[in-house]
Amino acid sequence: MPLPEFSYFRPKTIEGLVSLLAGHGADAKILAGGTDLFVLMRDRLVRPKCVIDIKGIEELRELSWDKGRGLMIGAAVTLNELIGSEIVEQRFGALWKAASVLADPTIRNRATLVGNICNASPAADTAPALLVLDGGVEVVGARGERTIPIRDFFVGVKRTTLERGEFVRGVRIPNPPEGAKSDYLKWGRTRGEDLAVVGVAALAADSGKKFVRVALSSVAPTPLLISEVEDIFRGEGSIEERIEKAASVVVQRISPISDVRASREYRLHMAGVLTRRVLRQLLGVS
Amino acid sequence: MSRHKISFSVNGERHELEVEANRTLLQLLREDLEMTGTKRACERGDCGLCTVLMDGEPVKSCLVLAVEVDGREVTTIEGLAKGEKLTRLQRAFIEHGAVQCGFCTPAFIVAGEALLKRNPHPSEDEVKEAVGGILCRCTGYRQIIDAILDAAKGRE
Ligand SMILES: Cc1cc2nc3c(=O)[nH]c(=O)nc-3n(C[C@H](O)[C@H](O)[C@H](O)COP(=O)(O)OP(=O)(O)OC[C@H]3O[C@@H](n4cnc5c(N)ncnc54)[C@H](O)[C@@H]3O)c2cc1C
Repeated sequence: MPLPEFSYFRPKTIEGLVSLLAGHGADAKILAGGTDLFVLMRDRLVRPKCVIDIKGIEELRELSWDKGRGLMIGAAVTLNELIGSEIVEQRFGALWKAASVLADPTIRNRATLVGNICNASPAADTAPALLVLDGGVEVVGARGERTIPIRDFFVGVKRTTLERGEFVRGVRIPNPPEGAKSDYLKWGRTRGEDLAVVGVAALAADSGKKFVRVALSSVAPTPLLISEVEDIFRGEGSIEERIEKAASVVVQRISPISDVRASREYRLHMAGVLTRRVLRQLLGVS
Repeated sequence: MSRHKISFSVNGERHELEVEANRTLLQLLREDLEMTGTKRACERGDCGLCTVLMDGEPVKSCLVLAVEVDGREVTTIEGLAKGEKLTRLQRAFIEHGAVQCGFCTPAFIVAGEALLKRNPHPSEDEVKEAVGGILCRCTGYRQIIDAILDAAKGRE
């Protein structure tokens, strides 16, 4: 089936994009890689009158790192560009891994990180990584700019706190604490090109005190940061005990559904298994 | 719906034409240019059979708009052989019986060529990863992977 009809725009500047969005309001959709948008349009689940391609805006291609300000990933940066960055691989392990296991390398030549979070699927692979890395979503609208912490960005299945007329310029990620390690484990039915049955990202740092964060995908209406895990690792007990506690809190906090990929029970079980696995690995417990 | 003048090249040949906004690169190739080597199947990015190269990088042409190829270079299966002379990878596909019904063959070859250009000596895992987004309903993956590995060996 052909795509429904629409008009195509390719602004060259941020100002051009802001005014197109202001002019077309609810009738407009932003196009980054199109790997979600065109599938939804083909199914007639979204029918924008106007499609605004952001790939002509040079500023949105920024992928940069700075000792003070951390990592900046512009909205037009593809996942393959992200994976190609050594800084990302070395310092932002969970994000690198999540981007590397999202879809397949051909999709990743087009798909963007920002498109992944704006689509706001509960299964968005990069979301748990951004949650443990404490990313900030930089938003621009007719009324100015604001930063939405990633933990306040998702509000429901396919729903975010972006307002009409606003778009995401990029995601900024602060440098993790010195010596921090992070990873993302994706559990799927096949190794390539399938959404996660469960995905778990974790970050662990130890500067005198243990600092640990855990977040998951595909287990609730939105990607989920399990904030209680931080308290557990600030508290008392052996590492083994705390890992066990963290895994049981994760299983209590999530609310997975049964669907074509897996049953609710299997997801609950695997969320616990993967939480233990990723924490053991990051904390050096065999 | 908007219409757009675009100028692009396919397999080294320049084209200038006008397209409607909702036309995909896949439709542009198959219907407007009548190059049917690139296959249409799922039209939602899952099967990868419509894979072509855009400026040398594989993309699924059902998820790319025709207007987006303005100023770009596209390579399809039709652009690989020089007359009767097949590429090393095309010959390897024949030698390994990597073609059953043949419907997925153009996509695997195009993606395989892009891989070998970027990484002339891939490991088996790298081959599997690179073509992981393409499905073969005949499930002849073993022969396809072997053909790509073999073509790599022959390249010095
Ligand atoms: C075969 C296949 C396999 C896939 N596998 C996975 C997978 O394993 N894991 C996974 O998480 N996803 C998967 N996806 C989904 C998709 O590829 C990703 O979500 C991708 O990152 C989307 O990025 P994009 O640039 O293509 O987004 P687009 O499709 O361009 O945009 C997605 C949505 O976000 C909006 N948007 C985009 N950019 C902005 C912006 N700057 N500001 C505001 N709104 C914006 C768009 O309007 C649209 O609604 C898969 C898709 C396909 C087709």
